[in-house]
Amino acid sequence: MTRGFRWSALGVGAVFGFLLTVSGLGDYHTIHDGLLLKNPYIFLMMASAMAVAFAGLVVLRRVGRTRYAGRLALPHHRIERRHVYGGVVFGLGFGVGATCPGMTIVMTTTGGLYGLVVLVGLLGGLWLRGWVERRQRRPLSTEPTDVPAPVAAPGS
Amino acid sequence: MLGWVSAQLPWWVTGPGVGLCVVALYGLINARLGVSGAWLATIAPAEGWRPEPWRRGFLLALVGGSLVAALLGPPVTVHGYGRLSELLPPVVLVPVLLLVGVALGYGSRWAGGCTSGHGMSGCAAGSPDSFAMTVTFFAVAVLVTLALHALTGGRL
Repeated sequence: MTRGFRWSALGVGAVFGFLLTVSGLGDYHTIHDGLLLKNPYIFLMMASAMAVAFAGLVVLRRVGRTRYAGRLALPHHRIERRHVYGGVVFGLGFGVGATCPGMTIVMTTTGGLYGLVVLVGLLGGLWLRGWVERRQRRPLSTEPTDVPAPVAAPGS
Repeated sequence: MLGWVSAQLPWWVTGPGVGLCVVALYGLINARLGVSGAWLATIAPAEGWRPEPWRRGFLLALVGGSLVAALLGPPVTVHGYGRLSELLPPVVLVPVLLLVGVALGYGSRWAGGCTSGHGMSGCAAGSPDSFAMTVTFFAVAVLVTLALHALTGGRL
């Protein structure tokens, strides 16, 4: 990993963490009232993020290559059942807790220390899905899924 | 803490901002910005596989950026979990939040991403699996939230 590559991930991560925090997404009510369809903030934020990212990617596709990682290869995968099943399970957590893996960090850093409980559960849930996949002798899911992890020996 | 930044900047600042983060990570290192993938990288050693090397740094930087925002933002006070902690005593709230975390972790690994990986980055790239996952989880989260609202007589 070159220095530019490493600093890219660090820089984008830091800006992303900053922006999530100043969006007030760590506040239960921001998300909960959004999901109650009473406060449009999260939908406007999400839609404008998608629109800007979409427009940026139109430009990026024309350039065709990345700064530190060669040719650009954007994800494009067909729909499988797991996307819907996983989405349902994720949606249950999102609905009840009014949070997601990123917002939970923001909740915790802004004083919502119950976020730590959610984070423990999150790591447990990631691990549990890996355990189920090992039991089913499937390749372990990593992210993004184009780079599969080696199949772990059962019981390892 | 210093009160230099408000608790919630307008959506038209934060939304496009995170959209640019998505574009930047694709354009710099050809990577899909995703927080659940970053969390997954932290448990990879326990599962015996090697994550992409940038992911853990990305997560640490995200936490760092969030801490900076918390420092510049309004005073940080340790607080509960919004209306959910007004309704539930801690002895019930903690198990509920653990299950919320498990659902988020299990679902995101099953589906191969969360709000950031599928919701923003994958959708912006026009990947069908991301559309399916995002529509599913938002629909489920809204239904769950409306159901909770109805079941608790409007207290949630």
